[in-house]
Amino acid sequence: MSLAPGAGLADSGAMPIPIIIDGHAIEAPPGASLIQAWISAGLPLTENVGCMGQGVCGACRVLVRREGERIATAALACETRAEAGMQVAFIDHFPARRPHAYDLAAMGDSWTALGQVDAVFPEAKHCRHCGGCDAACPKGIEVQKAVTLAVEGRALAAGALFDHCVMCNLCVAACPEHIAPAHLGQFLRRMANSLTLRPGDLIERIRQIEDGSQAIDLDSPGAAP
Amino acid sequence: MIAWDQALAAPRDPAPPLPSDRDALLRGFHPDHAPGAMERLRVGVSAGQPCPAALADLLQSNALVEDVDIAGRAMREAEVLVLGGGGAGCIAALTAARDGARVLLVTKLRMGDGNTVMAEGGIQAAVGAEDSLQRHYEDTLRAGHFRADKALVAAMVRDGPASIRWLIQQGMGFDLEEGEDRIGGHLLRKKPGGATAARLLSFRDYTGLELMRVIREAVLLTPGITVLERHPVVELLTDPHGRCAGAVLLELGRREIVLARAGAVVLATGGAGRLHLNGFPTSNHYGATADGLVLAYRLGAGLREVESFQYHPTGIAWPPHLAGTLISEAARAAGGLLFNGLGQRFVDELAPRDVVAAAILREIAEGRAAAREGCEGVLLDTPGLEAANPGILAKRLVTLSHLAHRAGFDPAREPFLIRPTLHYQNGGIAIDAEGRTAVPGLFCAGEASGGLHGLNRLMGNALLELVAFGRRAGAAAVEAARGDRPRGVGLTHLAAWERGLVAAGLPLDRRAPMVFPPYGNVDLAAMLRQRVAA
Ligand SMILES: Cc1cc2nc3c(=O)[nH]c(=O)nc-3n(C[C@H](O)[C@H](O)[C@H](O)COP(=O)(O)OP(=O)(O)OC[C@H]3O[C@@H](n4cnc5c(N)ncnc54)[C@H](O)[C@@H]3O)c2cc1C
Ligand code: SF4
Ligand code: SF4
Repeated sequence: MSLAPGAGLADSGAMPIPIIIDGHAIEAPPGASLIQAWISAGLPLTENVGCMGQGVCGACRVLVRREGERIATAALACETRAEAGMQVAFIDHFPARRPHAYDLAAMGDSWTALGQVDAVFPEAKHCRHCGGCDAACPKGIEVQKAVTLAVEGRALAAGALFDHCVMCNLCVAACPEHIAPAHLGQFLRRMANSLTLRPGDLIERIRQIEDGSQAIDLDSPGAAP
Repeated sequence: MIAWDQALAAPRDPAPPLPSDRDALLRGFHPDHAPGAMERLRVGVSAGQPCPAALADLLQSNALVEDVDIAGRAMREAEVLVLGGGGAGCIAALTAARDGARVLLVTKLRMGDGNTVMAEGGIQAAVGAEDSLQRHYEDTLRAGHFRADKALVAAMVRDGPASIRWLIQQGMGFDLEEGEDRIGGHLLRKKPGGATAARLLSFRDYTGLELMRVIREAVLLTPGITVLERHPVVELLTDPHGRCAGAVLLELGRREIVLARAGAVVLATGGAGRLHLNGFPTSNHYGATADGLVLAYRLGAGLREVESFQYHPTGIAWPPHLAGTLISEAARAAGGLLFNGLGQRFVDELAPRDVVAAAILREIAEGRAAAREGCEGVLLDTPGLEAANPGILAKRLVTLSHLAHRAGFDPAREPFLIRPTLHYQNGGIAIDAEGRTAVPGLFCAGEASGGLHGLNRLMGNALLELVAFGRRAGAAAVEAARGDRPRGVGLTHLAAWERGLVAAGLPLDRRAPMVFPPYGNVDLAAMLRQRVAA
């Protein structure tokens, strides 16, 4: 079907690329991403998909082994293009072993906030520095370093390392100590913003709205053609 | 059509483009106005309204399930049922749960996999000293060609600053102006195309990712919300009085039908980009198939401005494996210029999106486009942008640089080849300021709803809408749910609907919602029939 993402690729005349996805030996159109290769082979797509190419939702997690390589690496299928001889397996999403629960709204006193890191994520101090998380991350985030910084109490620096994390949770699956690094990252970032971000212009405008000086005239001259 | 090498070699003339007649441009080149693009709806409460043919086919089709399919199925109970796990749905669920309701949130893919997480440019809120709520209100109406509902727009605009505060309270970050303090500093503001003031607040160029990961985490940690992923809604349930009282879900993992009964339902299933109207590629996520529109319309909810879609000017035209992928307006907001294959500017880059998109389509139609390996489009001059603002690509336009890298070129040296991509459903299900639809018990928020954008949306108003109306609909749903548990819940609405289809001479065997695009290779109707036979 011509509207399919990447449909134009098949017309280029170049040789199709043989790959194996989840046990299916298929021929991918040249240039296709792994997701495009999957649908162009007629396979049903109901999961492990989301943004379909932007690489931002973290849904389409795969293990990829390239020809001649011994070790499989984690990647996002929408961002990875088919290469001859690739072996690919989608990775299902497991629920986390246990939620690391906290209540931001109850964290009134910022003096105690850092102590919460250990209270909510007690496993973090047991990091074995095995690097499993770093190897798993398709976004190149320095996960292990962030965990170390968090344990040292450097909340902002640790949180900042997760700046472009897409919450694919591959680091969570990889961690033998069940540290749930990505959730630790979210905890640190959310805590920092909710406790310390107070933009002056925003606060002033909210005050004006509350005191009635920002009323909207629904029928002003600018509200009609 | 100009060959890529020639287009690259043509000296780019930064002189402002000649002014052109915007109405003529829209009528001549905007896809909404293409001959044959629209038809009139023939059944349902909005019969007579214009609607794209592909969407009309879905709206005017029969249900995927009937009474026998739901008999004896397991029934889940909740006070508030939320359909869709994007920004609007998650925020409605959070609000309802914090107001004390037992909430069930169901979604087609995983929670968070939707258009929200993909938003790049930012969210509007009038916080600048020179800006005002009044200007935001008027800008929104004007950009939408004065077809938006004034009361809804005023409600959204008024909620703007408080919505940003609420997001920060949930833990979301926003960029501050260079060197400003976290306490008392000023927010970084950009001017969205079509606006009169710098009003776009952002987190780098992945504002939606920052919003969605914070909200998803909040939902996961809020007691009182049960989340069912991979459970698309395939039909709504009613009580004998026509009140919406729940939904029929398809549990994809086990291919089982599951029912959910609730005192109130919030529909937040998002947009329709995967209908690929008029053959356009789309920037939308895989699940954007207009399901909510189809289901609510069948139940009697009115639609508005469904004839109007936003084609984002800057979708990728080349390379083909990224066709349709969005290049954020941030690139133009920061000063990025557009050139045709002859090196001429042809439109004010910051004019409203419908105008810019129509102008690009005119350049293509009139042979002034550039073509690379058979893909036609115009140039987004990232090298010029970088030269004027050294470092901007690496620091501010991270997503754009990443995209260029995946396309295999250096954006500081080579321009993007772009063309419009189907991006946003401007209209949708008609709501009031509390998110109520015309159907009792049924609420709606986010891209599925209509009335806030008229015939064209300003960048940044979709994210604001989903926060403001997600909260409004969530709160109103809790109020509505405080009554008796619905009784006699079933598919009573379908009999009248089928009679309507027959009376209009429409087929009964066309079934919707679509749930997955055709190229997803899933035959949902067959999957459901199989279940029943087993
Ligand atoms: C690439 C891109 C960039 C954008 N950039 C911006 C921007 O910078 N600023 C801005 O304001 N707006 C932007 N937008 C628009 C904005 O992101 C969306 O309009 C908005 O996020 C929609 O939110 P939503 O919650 O209504 O829908 P979504 O976030 O799409 O969520 C809808 C959810 O419902 C689910 N669903 C669908 N059908 C069913 C079903 N049958 N059953 C159960 N669940 C279902 C979907 O899978 C999805 O999870 C952008 C959009 C895109 C695509
Ligand atoms: S969730 Fe973990 S693995 Fe995934 S992007 Fe974030 S840090 Fe990397
Ligand atoms: S995987 Fe876990 S234990 Fe290993 S380095 Fe990362 S955080 Fe530490």
